[in-house]
Amino acid sequence: MSVPDYMQCAEDHQTVLVVVQPVGIVPEEQFFRIYKRIVSVGQVSVRDSQRQLYIRYRHHYPPENNEWGDFQTHRKVVGLVAVTTCATAKEWPQTSDRFHAMKEVYGSTLYDSRLLVFGLEGEIAEQQRTDVAFYPSYDDCPDVERRVEDFVESIFIVLESKRLDRATDKSGDKIPLLCVPFEKKDFVGLDTDSSPVSLLLGVKRHYKKRCQGRMRKHVGDLCLQAGMLQDALVHYHMAVELLRSVNDFLWLGAALEGLCSSSVIFHYPGGTAGKTGARKPSVSQAADAGKRHRPGAQEVLIDPGALTTNGINADTSTEIGRAKNCLSPEDIIEKYKEAISYYGKYKNAGVIELEACVKAVRVLAIQKRAMEASEFLQNAVYINLGQLSEEEKIQRYSVLSELYEIIGFHRKSAFFKRVAAMQCVAPTIPEPGWRACYKLLLETLPGYSLSLDPKDFSKGTHRGWAAVQMRLLHELVYASRRMGNPGLSVRHLSFLLQTMLDFLSDQEKKEVTQSLENYTSKCPGGMEVITLPDGMKLPSVPFTKLPIVRSVKLLNLPVSLRPHKVKCLLGQSLSSKSPFIYSPIAMHTRGDERCKKIEFQWVRGDVCEVQLMVYNPMPFELRVENMGLLTSGVEFESLPAALSLPAESGLYPVTLVGVPRTAGNITVNGYHTSVFGVSSDCLLEGLPAVKTSGCMVEVVPSLPRLQLSTSLPRSAHPTSEDLSSSVSLQLFNGESQQLTITLENIGAENLETLELTSKTLSTKEKLLGKFLSWDLQEALSHLPLKPGQSLAIPVCIQVKLDFSGQESLLQDLNDDGISVTGLSISSPLRQVLKSRAENKTAGTEPGKSEYNHVKSLDAVLNFKYSGGAGHVEGYYRELCLGVHVDVEPSVFFTRVSTLPATSTRQCHLLLDVFNSTEHELTVSSKNNQDLLLHASECQRMAIQVDKFAFENVLVPRVEDPSVQEHFTSPRQLEEQRLHAQGRLINSTLNIHWSIPSLLRQGEATVEGVLNQLVLDHLQLAPLQWDVLVNGKPCDCDAVAEWRVGEPVTLEVRLTNHSRTAVGPFALSVVPFQDYQNGVHNYELSDTVTFIGSNTFHINTVDPTESSVYRGALLFLYTGDFYLNIKFQDDRSGRELPAAWFCLPSVHIRALESPIENGA
Amino acid sequence: MTCLCFLCVSRDYDELSSIMAVCIAVIAKENYPLYIRSVPTQNELKFHYTVHTSLDVVEEKISSVGKALADQRELYLGLLYPTEDYKVYGYVTNSKVKFVIVVDSSNTSLRDNEIRSMFRKLHNSFTDVMCNPFYIPGDPIQSKAFDSMVSAMMVQAC
Repeated sequence: MSVPDYMQCAEDHQTVLVVVQPVGIVPEEQFFRIYKRIVSVGQVSVRDSQRQLYIRYRHHYPPENNEWGDFQTHRKVVGLVAVTTCATAKEWPQTSDRFHAMKEVYGSTLYDSRLLVFGLEGEIAEQQRTDVAFYPSYDDCPDVERRVEDFVESIFIVLESKRLDRATDKSGDKIPLLCVPFEKKDFVGLDTDSSPVSLLLGVKRHYKKRCQGRMRKHVGDLCLQAGMLQDALVHYHMAVELLRSVNDFLWLGAALEGLCSSSVIFHYPGGTAGKTGARKPSVSQAADAGKRHRPGAQEVLIDPGALTTNGINADTSTEIGRAKNCLSPEDIIEKYKEAISYYGKYKNAGVIELEACVKAVRVLAIQKRAMEASEFLQNAVYINLGQLSEEEKIQRYSVLSELYEIIGFHRKSAFFKRVAAMQCVAPTIPEPGWRACYKLLLETLPGYSLSLDPKDFSKGTHRGWAAVQMRLLHELVYASRRMGNPGLSVRHLSFLLQTMLDFLSDQEKKEVTQSLENYTSKCPGGMEVITLPDGMKLPSVPFTKLPIVRSVKLLNLPVSLRPHKVKCLLGQSLSSKSPFIYSPIAMHTRGDERCKKIEFQWVRGDVCEVQLMVYNPMPFELRVENMGLLTSGVEFESLPAALSLPAESGLYPVTLVGVPRTAGNITVNGYHTSVFGVSSDCLLEGLPAVKTSGCMVEVVPSLPRLQLSTSLPRSAHPTSEDLSSSVSLQLFNGESQQLTITLENIGAENLETLELTSKTLSTKEKLLGKFLSWDLQEALSHLPLKPGQSLAIPVCIQVKLDFSGQESLLQDLNDDGISVTGLSISSPLRQVLKSRAENKTAGTEPGKSEYNHVKSLDAVLNFKYSGGAGHVEGYYRELCLGVHVDVEPSVFFTRVSTLPATSTRQCHLLLDVFNSTEHELTVSSKNNQDLLLHASECQRMAIQVDKFAFENVLVPRVEDPSVQEHFTSPRQLEEQRLHAQGRLINSTLNIHWSIPSLLRQGEATVEGVLNQLVLDHLQLAPLQWDVLVNGKPCDCDAVAEWRVGEPVTLEVRLTNHSRTAVGPFALSVVPFQDYQNGVHNYELSDTVTFIGSNTFHINTVDPTESSVYRGALLFLYTGDFYLNIKFQDDRSGRELPAAWFCLPSVHIRALESPIENGA
Repeated sequence: MTCLCFLCVSRDYDELSSIMAVCIAVIAKENYPLYIRSVPTQNELKFHYTVHTSLDVVEEKISSVGKALADQRELYLGLLYPTEDYKVYGYVTNSKVKFVIVVDSSNTSLRDNEIRSMFRKLHNSFTDVMCNPFYIPGDPIQSKAFDSMVSAMMVQAC
């Protein structure tokens, strides 16, 4: 016997073997359909008894194994079921012959046989035959199972009769010697009966015992098969005793094994093969063993007591109690060991030994004694069965693998399975079975802790033994390639590269990627799950390590494109989250950091960016193609990028872009790449190592996009990040410049609203006047602005800075000692100026550049615009234009002073103008001649101006005194007042400068240099005095003429423009004569006489009221007379400025009386 | 395992006569190798397989003894399994780090005591490695001292 049945298990000892075979041409598919139905009858309860008959079906059984049938009866083919197709009656005889020929093969052992004929109908089919059944077709055979049951019953009858025949064989004198095939020649001629003389008595007895022992064992087998477990045990025990005494080791082994088998059947009714479905657990066997001991009347004959009378010496067996007949679980193993050691003595019994090992291992597996089982298996490995065919080797390794698996030695199991797989494709095999090899290799995966799902490797440390795993993967790749399935190779190779990257040497990395590229050139790798024919699924392998992504960061839009939400009146964000403005309890949202919504927004239709920090772990340049974003939530058009990362690159920023096509919340789930021809979708949720600050962002509806261009050149370096662009220019102080801003709608939406604001960045400089001014009306009339159109906005830039504040400059320039009426004598500045006057020479100074300071001004023009769907949602965009102006000083006034003019309502303003430029410059004012100034020249110009009624300027502020008192400090109030006054003066003066050589011009302002004293002088006195002579106003140089002897009416009117009531005053009129030589003659009491009093008393005059005082003069002689109006303030405590009492002097010329003329 | 002829490499007996161990491996708690070293003349992968499969026995031995006497359990596991060519011995530290020593089965002069002392030396050296503050537990052992100790064990004359 050379073909081991590795599937054998202990309980197979109680089965009867039936071979089912096709006769003639039977389609394989049909045959196995019928075979399956036959096999379903695996256990038959025999009529009239409670015994069970178990049947083992085989569709193939080597006849030489059948020869061992005497040794162990379950190896004997006792039944034959033939399946045949017979279409016509003509074929029938031939079929019948074939059936008989087949019976011949197992003829010696067959108890019974059946022939199932399919397809034959008619005369032949109608004849009733027990051994042949006819069916019209394979589909129409309802009673196959019943037929098989009948067949099994008939086998049972034969079996039972044989058992009884052997057991009750009382002949005693003639027990045939049962032999295994290889023994037959040893016993040739050893016929004890034929040659009694030649044998010693001892030998004869020895031989007889051997015959008895073997027969006893055989009876045990038959009892076991016939379902009489207890009897079998008894027979086996007796056989063991008999055979042990004669050292018939092979049969002793068999008897011991039989003992083990029956004990196993008793202890483990569920079976040891692990295929519980096939065998119905016969609970009754164990529980009712005692009762069931004698199911039939005949069993009396097999009573151990009765057996002693059978001529078989069984002195010990009588003591064997029924309970003791059965071996304990530990004993089973001991006996198996013993049996196997006996088998081991015979080289030809290798198969028996191997099968016994396998059976023992299965029992140990059930007993969960893995260590001992492994010893049996180790032994089985070494059993040499001589030359095995490749197929047998594969089978053997597979079985070893399975056995190791059931005892929980997964690694060992995997090892043998792999060996089996390698055997499939051994070079000696002419047609290597790559498919089988691949299939077996796949089965080894669990043993090596490999799952082929890259997700299992993404978390934590590497699992398993990398060296052997790598080897296995290589083998899988190779096998799948040889199978002609490059898709599988690519998948396995990708997996190898992805999971074993850390264990590959540089050289291996190169090799693996090279072969991967070779494979993908034929079959590009993708993300689809590959399903193998046996249902195993190979998940996709995304290359998350090629390149390694360290962080994913969603980028905000550029400043100019960011959408802003129009502020809602109700604080939505506050009310939605918590009723508290601040709570120390932080929201614990660390877990879902990835889901965290990012603060900023993206805009539909605009290119959005995500920045990845990637790293190339390979020792060579890595080309990543088609790298793009994977998103969900919003329709997103990803614009893939291709990149090439240098070897061992270190962190490398990569920006992936895309355009959201709808509005909503977009989540960046991952990215996809194409490396070495394998495209992979890498999801972030599977990559815990990737740092991200959130992947969800809101996409707001589309907004228009404006592009800004200016008429002035842009500055090279924007002053701030927030500015989309900026312009810079250089201006002289007081100059103005026109800037045209062109806005072009480059987006896809109409521009519907546009707002423009400006903000001057905080600067130390005091800005006089408005810096930026514009008129938006014209531009707004173009709205809505369609895509592609543009509009222009003119902006006027005007710089007016105060350069006079530079002390040093003032000091340097005030060197000529010109009297400064504006400064009081005690002014400290005056002192300084005086002292420095000596060592200075006017005009050309070497240190000129030091005061040629350039000041700068910065402002931001802010365009808020919106339109389209985003406008409806309340979003707008901002565009910022920075304006930077370098201001160079042009002209400024070093000193201001006043001189009174002849009229009390006017005065002369004296300005020292300094040209700080390097160019020739002309200065012109309202009604003066142009003044030419050379570079760095200082000249004085005088302008006659009407005095100003500053009160009028301030009126609006005074009206609300309470506000001012409360909210503005007196200082600020004063500044404001000064500022307003300065503006008024400035606008009245209207001083311009121009540089003819540069064709530039601008305004000059005096605001900065005005001081209180000058202002006081420039102020129109709040008490307005009008003197009327004879009803005519008399002022300045006008001479009133009047005749002598007639009274002259003199009227003095006081109008109070001040804020407070004034008075009371005493006013006196004193006439005098000026002799033009410095002598004033006040002794005029005889030439001029007053009619009435020459002194008036003025009572309090309330604000805005006026009072009039009249008197009269009588001139007695002709001559020029002056009237000096003096007045006294009655209240000494109050000081009113002297300027307030600036009264006109009255000049009257007294002429000859017209009477004379008339006389 | 003569039958696995394609895995075996013919051995040079003369050379092996002076070798104590043919393969020494340190295996992490999670059953991946921290260190494996075999005689250079032979197929290294074969020893990977030998040591890897021996883990089945190691695990079986730990689990069968383990539970009750976890504290007093002897670290030395003894002979894991013999093959035709080699004997595989095992040792498990209390932190479940496994040491496996493979010796040539022709080397009959080796006693159990000697194997024990080899394991003890290995354990001491391994403890030194773990005490190194720059060693990250779980990483492959790259210590030179450990390496030289292992080489000494492998070539030491009997």
